[in-house]
Amino acid sequence: MAEQDVVFRVTRYRPVPGGRPTFQDYGLPFRNDMVVLDGLNYIKDHLDPTLTFRWSCRMGICGSCGANINGQPSLTCETFIRDVSRGVVTVEPLSNFPILKDLVVDFDDFLNKLASVKPYIVRKDWGDWTKEYTQYPEDLEAYRQQSLCINCMLCYAACPVVGTSPEFIGPAASALALRYIRDSRDEGADARLARLNTKNGVWECTFVGECSVVCPKDVDPAAAIQTLKVLATMRHLRRLLMPASR
Amino acid sequence: MARHEYPWKRRPGWWLRNPRYLAFQLREAGGVVCALYGLLLLNLLMQLREGESAYVAFLTMLRTPPVLYLNGVLFGLVLWHAISWFMLIGKAQPVQLTRKPLPWKAVFGINVVLWLGVSGAVVYLTFGWI
Amino acid sequence: MERTTHDIVVVGGGAAGLRAAIAAAEADPDLTIALVSKVYPMRSHTVSAEGGTAAVLRDYDSFELHALDTIKGSDFLADQDAVEFFVARCPEEIIRLEHWGCPWSRDPDGRVSQRAFGGMSVKRTVYAADKVGFHILHTLFQTSMKYPQIHRFDESFVTSLIVDGGACTGVVAMDLRSGSMVAIAAKATILATGGCGRVYEFTTNGFIKTGDGMALAYRAGVPLKDMEMVQFHPTCLPGTGILITEAARGEGGYLINKDGERYMQRYLPGKMELGPRDILSRAMIEEIKAGRAFEGPYGPYLGLDVRHLGAKKINERIPMVRELVQKYMGLDPIHEPIPVRPGQHYMMGGVSTNMKGETSLPGLYAVGETACVSINGANRLGSNSLSECLVFGTATGLAAAGFAKRRPSYPRGAAAREALRKEEARVFDGLLGRERGKETLAGIRVEMQQLMERDVGIFRDESGLADACANLARLRDRFGAIGLADKDRVFNTELTGVLELDLMLDVAATIAHSARERRESRGAHSRTDHPQRDDANYLKHTLAFRTDGAPRIDYAPVTITKWQPAERKY
Repeated sequence: MAEQDVVFRVTRYRPVPGGRPTFQDYGLPFRNDMVVLDGLNYIKDHLDPTLTFRWSCRMGICGSCGANINGQPSLTCETFIRDVSRGVVTVEPLSNFPILKDLVVDFDDFLNKLASVKPYIVRKDWGDWTKEYTQYPEDLEAYRQQSLCINCMLCYAACPVVGTSPEFIGPAASALALRYIRDSRDEGADARLARLNTKNGVWECTFVGECSVVCPKDVDPAAAIQTLKVLATMRHLRRLLMPASR
Repeated sequence: MARHEYPWKRRPGWWLRNPRYLAFQLREAGGVVCALYGLLLLNLLMQLREGESAYVAFLTMLRTPPVLYLNGVLFGLVLWHAISWFMLIGKAQPVQLTRKPLPWKAVFGINVVLWLGVSGAVVYLTFGWI
Repeated sequence: MERTTHDIVVVGGGAAGLRAAIAAAEADPDLTIALVSKVYPMRSHTVSAEGGTAAVLRDYDSFELHALDTIKGSDFLADQDAVEFFVARCPEEIIRLEHWGCPWSRDPDGRVSQRAFGGMSVKRTVYAADKVGFHILHTLFQTSMKYPQIHRFDESFVTSLIVDGGACTGVVAMDLRSGSMVAIAAKATILATGGCGRVYEFTTNGFIKTGDGMALAYRAGVPLKDMEMVQFHPTCLPGTGILITEAARGEGGYLINKDGERYMQRYLPGKMELGPRDILSRAMIEEIKAGRAFEGPYGPYLGLDVRHLGAKKINERIPMVRELVQKYMGLDPIHEPIPVRPGQHYMMGGVSTNMKGETSLPGLYAVGETACVSINGANRLGSNSLSECLVFGTATGLAAAGFAKRRPSYPRGAAAREALRKEEARVFDGLLGRERGKETLAGIRVEMQQLMERDVGIFRDESGLADACANLARLRDRFGAIGLADKDRVFNTELTGVLELDLMLDVAATIAHSARERRESRGAHSRTDHPQRDDANYLKHTLAFRTDGAPRIDYAPVTITKWQPAERKY
């Protein structure tokens, strides 16, 4: 396969007091079927072993390798160099997150937000442990799309609101909240909607829609958040007008 | 060892670097303009109350070229605001009346038709048939 | 924080590790459980499993049949008491996961669906489209958030076990984000770090599968069992090694050579594409040797044809297969056959344990792909591995919980402190301090991977294996001349790469030596110089023990209960 040349302009950041991120240029050859991750690995193996980035599965399912490629939040393992190279490919850490080192960001905040929406089945009575709950294919379809989230954080990097309001619960956590609310086996909608119906719940969202554009798994978190707004409002009205139903 | 994380900093002009962010900012700006239009109409009513000369003076001012050009630009923003919201309704469909979500173009189309219908009715009521 | 103490420490946050942690948390809410993983748990390689997980759920099936399929699949090297224990507990694990929210694919009547899979006589593979590992992992990870007594140590790389008074009393780990070492003392330690596919050049495994837990146990004196039994999955994408699930064949896909012929009729007419993986991989190599394979930029390959399944079935049952092939091969499986070739995929071998996950070192447990109980023997059937993680994850978690409860006192602080100092010296002063020498991390790693691929692959022989053993020893010496360019302690992935290579060299040596000493062919282990199975001499498990030089190979008997070893015919 023919080889061409490209320059990767990569963010470097060393975690020392007073440190600042800078760019470093690396010239490397690439083949038509190489992805940006292959380029980063080439740099680490042959040019500069200090370059630091996360990756694991290289097939777009583990969610480790998110980065801003030419300004666009992407998975480095799914982005082909031939598609993004105009001679130079700029690779920066995901926006809206603090930088730990080079392309590695700190997203512990997301895990706290995820935990806050109770991302597990909530039931009072678990019933029979020897037989599955009945769930029809159309019930599964109701939440299947939101269940595909790989926690890659591209949506948080794309959302301008996450940048200005860091407490905003964010797209992925909302999508996963909806995934459980819509699961026919779950009974925990009330507690989740209470959490989401707050100032740093879903109401921070101004429907920019960029989260759904960048999502590599078509989870469509933007639609999920608008749906949650409706559900949260309906719950609020129900509680207001029919206090006995609480 | 303490962690020395570098806090993320937003770069000015962020919304110029992505066509979808720019479209979003214009849409939001369009919302402000809608509010201004409302104030304009309120002012119109107030001038009407002041008397015929005040009312006519206000209308004359509205017809001057700079104000007309400005209105053209602001009308464009209001149009974009409306159209982009109609596009979004299709993409979210939080209130589902059908079994499966409708394709967003269908929802967009239905909303545009309703919008043109209502606008047409308003024009008829205000000006009669043109 | 330099030291911390818990009742149980689980190393590895994949299906087996999470299931064990949850089982222990449910057994006794007073137990504190540390879950230590070098990546965030949802990045664990469980996530990439595609096809399904097996269990007896219907009347047309039986534990007897599942056991027989598994034992026959293992070429009679599996321990039959463990297999009987295993098959009886698969159904309750599937149901438990279902109750916890796992989105199993469903039949029209609302019951969990099951599909056909290689080596299984009936349809017993439960599936979730073709993302079963992803859904199981996320269900377990999100469910684990319910238990406040599970404390996670994310992105912490375990560098050694703490051994005190003849027992394992915890681990020493490097917290990547702070760059400092921490000693985690615990009454019980469970290793669930997965397999070691990255010792091979062409593997379905992710970057993190470097056999850490296997090497840690090995260094503490625990033997590694049946390491020569390496599974090569027949259908991997050329170049990247990305897995194309067996489910593509389970749903009816054909394997074809360049003449468009379903060549499996020459090798296994009874089962065709649904034979066990070792037989299919060997068949592919034979087709390649006979010149009947396609040629491509990454060498010869065969075709996996799913066109006749139709777009609807493909999009419903194997949608991720279609996505992967479109993205990485640039073609649509609805219209063209998928290029495939065999690649390393799974380790049947691992840390020697019993059915409760106990190793020969008190206080140390192992579970999942890291362990070898053995239920998979010389060849694993597809969809048994995830079930294994769940069944033995539960059993090991419960065993460790019982062990911890019976011990009133926590481990000695002095031993943990001493282990911590030792590791800090070894890793920070010893490894990190080394100046760049004439050897590089990438250089040695690639050489190891290439020699394993060449000499310890699908077909092996005495001279190749002898070369492998000698070359690995030479690589071990040359490892000493690797220096590091990245001197930071914080998130130093060059340092973790060197630590992983250190562990991989140990594990690779056990594979090569175990393979050399097994002078027969059984299951996935194929010797061209000893092509027959030899029950008289080799119906036994290989055990590899660490010494200062080459691994010492010994043997242990196979437990036979009901099924006498017979010819493995399909």
